[in-house]
Amino acid sequence: MTTSTSAPVTAPVKGAVAARTKGLRKEYGSTVAVDRVDLELPEGAVLGMLGPNGSGKTTTIRMLLGLVRPTQGEIELLGRPLPEGAEQALPHVGALVEGPGFHPFLSGRENLVRCAAFEPLLPRRQIKQAVEDAIERVGLAQAAHRRYRGYSLGMKQRLGLAAALLVPRKLVVLDEPTNGLDPAGTREIRKIIAELHEAGSTVMVSSHLLSEVEATCTHVAVLHRGTVVAQGELTELLQAGGSALQVITPDVEKALSALRQAKISARPLGDGLRVELAGTSAPQVIETLVQGGARVFEATRWKTGLEELFARLTEAEEAERGMSAVDTLDGGRR
Amino acid sequence: MITRQFGSEVRWMLRRPRTLIGLFGLVLVPIIISFGIWTAGDDEGGGGPGLAAIIQGNGMVVPIFTLFLSLNLLLPLVASIWAADGLAGEAQHGTLRGLLVAPVSRVRLLFVKLFGLTAMSLFAVTLMAVVGIIAGTAFLGTDGMMTLSGTTLGTGEGLLRIALFVVLVTFQMVAIGAVALAVSATTEHPLVVQAATMTTIIVFQVLSQFPSLDWLHPFLITTGFPGLIDVMRDPIPLTQIWDSTLLAGCYLLIGTGLAAMRLITKDN
Repeated sequence: MTTSTSAPVTAPVKGAVAARTKGLRKEYGSTVAVDRVDLELPEGAVLGMLGPNGSGKTTTIRMLLGLVRPTQGEIELLGRPLPEGAEQALPHVGALVEGPGFHPFLSGRENLVRCAAFEPLLPRRQIKQAVEDAIERVGLAQAAHRRYRGYSLGMKQRLGLAAALLVPRKLVVLDEPTNGLDPAGTREIRKIIAELHEAGSTVMVSSHLLSEVEATCTHVAVLHRGTVVAQGELTELLQAGGSALQVITPDVEKALSALRQAKISARPLGDGLRVELAGTSAPQVIETLVQGGARVFEATRWKTGLEELFARLTEAEEAERGMSAVDTLDGGRR
Repeated sequence: MITRQFGSEVRWMLRRPRTLIGLFGLVLVPIIISFGIWTAGDDEGGGGPGLAAIIQGNGMVVPIFTLFLSLNLLLPLVASIWAADGLAGEAQHGTLRGLLVAPVSRVRLLFVKLFGLTAMSLFAVTLMAVVGIIAGTAFLGTDGMMTLSGTTLGTGEGLLRIALFVVLVTFQMVAIGAVALAVSATTEHPLVVQAATMTTIIVFQVLSQFPSLDWLHPFLITTGFPGLIDVMRDPIPLTQIWDSTLLAGCYLLIGTGLAAMRLITKDN
């Protein structure tokens, strides 16, 4: 199922690409964290990386930033191969990876000054201004003088975001940026992502919060068990993956066998069937059903959101473990 | 760019509460030593060999004596703390990722850390020496500096000897710190680095007590420490000082090399 949905929508990206991975694989000892990851991040896109915890989102991001060496595969970041081109590419990349990391005994502002001192693109005399601008931008002005030790999780996230935005970036990579933020904070992050998008930056956001991705992203990549199971433009993906037909019929057995003969995938659901429309169309399905002797009382086009698409792409595991693979609430990261 | 990074590193180290507390503790050592010798008065009458014998009424010897004592345990401990915070501590706080993504190349990062270690070691040792001179002079008085050879040097010459000793001790400290940095590159736990370094120093000192292991002694950095006291002879015999410094240089190179190898291939 997963492969048939992903095949039509992983068409090569037209135009320039901000980042690309080919056949990426990472092993930690005997565990394979990520395998055969082929990602394409079109320039100017906002890519949402979705996946259950442990699906390899963070590992992929860390490889993309040159923090982790892939066991196999190639990475291209802003037109440069990694790790050789890291020093040319990374100054243009802002990142918030695996939660914010700062020194507890320094204030938020001092932490940013230390980050700024290591930014190659920031001239010394602009450091002060850049730090103040970044603080202002993420709404930390009130707390900037306080020690990081006393920051709430939301303030820590904001500071991490500020560090990623110290310099105008071509690419901003945010790993779970809304983790620990209240609804207002989440909205602000969305606003910042939208601003970056408008300014022409490419943004990559990893998240397990589907609504967040649906609201902010132009493109989506779904990771599952360390590999990409679908990627492409959000609208295309939803169209291709999200169209199903809900058929109300008393003759479930007949209907299923008719559809099986016509090689259309379906499963019993409620008072009838749920028929996938991948590779077929609604009239065709109904024709098949009627010819197979199944009475159709009602047929409804099921227009799905990202949540359902995601659930279907990862449903194998879901069934196996008997639980939702999606953390709709804020579960532990990773 | 590199000077800005060096500056940031030293500022960062100086802002740490534990650095300030550590420096305060180090400064107490020469004061306590001066005070102790002053209260002991003339009772012991200069019995026993070495520095302790000439220190009474000889305040300029206090900084040398202080550093010499501290080099066995206290200064390696301080060096290991700085090395531990430098890489393992940054990894623990997640700030190492930030630096690498900035990006700072891994080799350069190691040099920034090594610079911070060197600058802070020199600062700490100098501070101890200065406080030692002041406290020693205040408590014990001075007429120049009496050497182990029995001659007396003028104040200027005495200060030069102290400066030379400061440099030699700093170099030993940096060598130990470099090895600690190599350990620091392998872990996210600063305490592991400190424990490993201090255990090594203590084990070395124990090993150097066994005459049957004398083939091993030339390779132990701690066996080079006593030779440094030759700066207190007149004229200065250079052989032992040179050997000790060369040995420390080897530790510095090996430590830096191992740290670089580990850092370059490390996943963060």
